Amino acid sequence: MKTKHGFQKKLGQLVLDNSVPIMFIIICAVCIPLSGFSPSYLLNEVVTRMGRNTFLILCLLIPIIAGLGLNFAMTLGAMAGEIALILVSDWQIWGIPGVVLAMIVSIPISILLGLLCGKILNRAKGREMITSYFISFFMNGMYQLVVLYMMGPIIPIVHESIKLPRGYGIRNTVSLLNMRQSVDNLLAINIGGVKIPVLTFLLIALLCLFLIWFRRTKLGQDMRAVGQDMDVARDAGINVDRTRIVSVLISTVVAGFGMILYLQNMGNISTYSSHSQIGMFSIAALLVGGASVEKASIGNAFLGVILFHLMFIVAPSAGAQVTGDSMTGEYFRVFVSYGVIAIALVMYAAKKRRARSNAGQLLAEAQKQEENA
Amino acid sequence: MKSKRVFLFRLVFILVLVAVAAVMLVIGRGHTVYFDNVELDYQGTTYETPYKLVIYTGGEEVAKLYDGERGMATCIGQSLDLTLEITQEKGGEEELVSVTLPLPYNMDGVVINLSAYLQDLPEEAYLSEFVPVVTETGDEEDVVIPGDDMMMGDF
Repeated sequence: MKTKHGFQKKLGQLVLDNSVPIMFIIICAVCIPLSGFSPSYLLNEVVTRMGRNTFLILCLLIPIIAGLGLNFAMTLGAMAGEIALILVSDWQIWGIPGVVLAMIVSIPISILLGLLCGKILNRAKGREMITSYFISFFMNGMYQLVVLYMMGPIIPIVHESIKLPRGYGIRNTVSLLNMRQSVDNLLAINIGGVKIPVLTFLLIALLCLFLIWFRRTKLGQDMRAVGQDMDVARDAGINVDRTRIVSVLISTVVAGFGMILYLQNMGNISTYSSHSQIGMFSIAALLVGGASVEKASIGNAFLGVILFHLMFIVAPSAGAQVTGDSMTGEYFRVFVSYGVIAIALVMYAAKKRRARSNAGQLLAEAQKQEENA
Repeated sequence: MKSKRVFLFRLVFILVLVAVAAVMLVIGRGHTVYFDNVELDYQGTTYETPYKLVIYTGGEEVAKLYDGERGMATCIGQSLDLTLEITQEKGGEEELVSVTLPLPYNMDGVVINLSAYLQDLPEEAYLSEFVPVVTETGDEEDVVIPGDDMMMGDF
């Protein structure tokens, strides 16, 4: 009887801990038959989107280890990637060399932005997420200033096809046709009508290996220590501020690479909007995979990208089947994306409050026992 | 000692990145090559065109040109390897010629008059830059739409 009760408790805890992925599995299970898509189509889409988005989602892991929470400022890396791609596109470097060059060009821009972001976040300890969210808004304005007014007169842009007709600034859409899916198509294999972008997955695997290795390094251990308790880490001789800056820096550089992989898959840049929501949806995907503000793993990223994108693919079609209007599905997926972030933040706050209250109760009990003794 | 090693490591890393970037700039330069099979007047001499030219790059046929026609191919790098199947006269023998055309780095679009090239004329005679005409589409192109909407598009 006791064993049965224990099992039920464990199961309840498991369900509670994984409530978000379970909810999404149920949503997908309901929506897939309604959407009417064939399994091979769904598999193809999910594989494509995994290749496109996983790199971006994985960039969020290091700041979580370092206790910075969800790095909404990964948008900064995305902007660096976009600027690099615009420049490479203007220099007419095509194919894989274009992608590699864009990644190299994005590194100094990402480092600069990451450094700035890390320094600001160090001045806003305990409020990192909301600060990083607003840094991304601020930098979006700076990005628009650079792309809209500086590209042309200050930063040389030669090709008229990229520039706005007025002679400066970048057009709304920049074509990446000459490097479109160059990474995805190299070494790609086709299994039962499903295209597997092997090279993209190899790059993702490399990043995963890097993350696993990094956690075991001295810096990685320092980040974990900082993430658990900054004061204890400082007392142990860890340079807390520097460690936090490095974590943001790595995240921003990886986000830049991720954005380049994402855009080479898409085949064009929406100059003024590609980056704007990327942070939000990458974070939503990670949370859907069962991650929280203070704990995330590579497995969460993979599960999240599968579930979130499966919902993304089937929701409009399922919405159209149920209500007769595909926009219902559109609204549903937007609602779910923002909703899951809100739930994660509320759960994080509630958990923190509960922990504080438990600690207070323990302290009160200890004091009471001391008085009685 | 340790800081010197770290500095050296960083320096080497940066130099490697710069070197890779330089290599990418050279090997990744894309060109659009236009092949002309048109008659050419050069220094008072008129150079006739073959009846038919079939152009292959990387084993694939990219153009089949009769007199006065233009074909196109894209390529990455500083030279283009071509195999030409030349038919001088209608019903005549086909001749296979392999050529490597050097492409100028500063030109996006390169026009090559193949008949002039096959007559061993200098580069100035057979090679010119293709300058595309940008068509103005009106004021609406100037309107920039910053992306601050809540919709996701194709994420």
